[in-house]
Amino acid sequence: MSCSPFDLRDFYLKELSDPQQRQVEAHVRDCAACREELDRLRLTQAALFSLRDEEIPQRIAFVSDPVFEPSAARRWWNAFWGSSARLGFAGAALLSAALFFSAVTRTAGTGGGLTQSDVDRRIQLAVAASEARQTQTTTKLVHDLVQHADTEHNLRLVAEDESRIAKEQAWAIVKDSGGVVSSPNYSGDPK
Amino acid sequence: MIFRAVEDTDLIRQASRGSVESYNLLVSRWEKRMYNYLLRITGNREDALDLAQDVFLKAYQNLRKLDDPGRFGSWLYRIAHNEAYSLFRKRKPEVDVDTVEPAPTDIGITVGGSSVFPIELSLAVASALDRLSPDQREAVVLKIYQGFKFEEMAEILSCPVSTVKSRLYTALELLKAELAPISPRGVS
Repeated sequence: MSCSPFDLRDFYLKELSDPQQRQVEAHVRDCAACREELDRLRLTQAALFSLRDEEIPQRIAFVSDPVFEPSAARRWWNAFWGSSARLGFAGAALLSAALFFSAVTRTAGTGGGLTQSDVDRRIQLAVAASEARQTQTTTKLVHDLVQHADTEHNLRLVAEDESRIAKEQAWAIVKDSGGVVSSPNYSGDPK
Repeated sequence: MIFRAVEDTDLIRQASRGSVESYNLLVSRWEKRMYNYLLRITGNREDALDLAQDVFLKAYQNLRKLDDPGRFGSWLYRIAHNEAYSLFRKRKPEVDVDTVEPAPTDIGITVGGSSVFPIELSLAVASALDRLSPDQREAVVLKIYQGFKFEEMAEILSCPVSTVKSRLYTALELLKAELAPISPRGVS
């Protein structure tokens, strides 16, 4: 029976915790019986290792079993995506098909289905609309000008009235003071 | 340290999504270990090869059930253990494989009646292993040759760690007695 603090076989197989391993190591240094027991375990393991691993006589059949290979369609699909040339060709074909589809299904352009009378009528309508816009603009301009002229005329009248009143007041003041002063700029009667 | 461009866990994930190529690579990494494990517990090359194929096929079919890819190794050995014991039961349906005492042989592992290992020591080892019960032999193979920890062995064998240790240590005592007998100077 071993006198080791822990099972020597656990120690030898490294199944002890680190502190336990160190404890047994320390014990074995001073215990000849445990050292001999460990030597026997080493010899036994060395003998067991004389039985070498063998090479497997043949690869596992699963590796090449056709049951597990991808289907023919799957292989074609994988090969297709694995070839950049085929992929490029497919892209070009797809683009061509898209262009063809677009050309076939595109709607007719503007004016493609109009008669001469339609065109004339549309032109007349456009001209009439343009003339109407011009007339409206001209009318507005004339109205603005007339309004502007009226405003200026009224302002001038007001200014003249104010000037006349001022002169009359000045004349009255002179008259009241007894002086004879001619009114050089006044041509009307002082009423 | 051997650098692997793709880890096993990545291969397992890809294989579980249906990548046969990834699984093939995985098989190529594990097939030798699995074959030797099965060879040592069955003692027969043909059985070991057939079982290895079954194991990898079954593993592929059930790969999606593997929750943790990091436990692929012990999971694979668990399948192998079950497949091997299923074979044992088919061969000897009337015998309880847990209590079977194998008949002593002196030719070790054989294929078609001829010795696989001609070296004397290898023969002695094969003979000593042959004298162990299947459970004891499997415990030795998993621990000494495959390097599993006790917890992993318990998972593979579906038994408590204490049972694993008991089987292994009994086997080691028997092997020690045969392969490393006490030297005369050690006998009082």
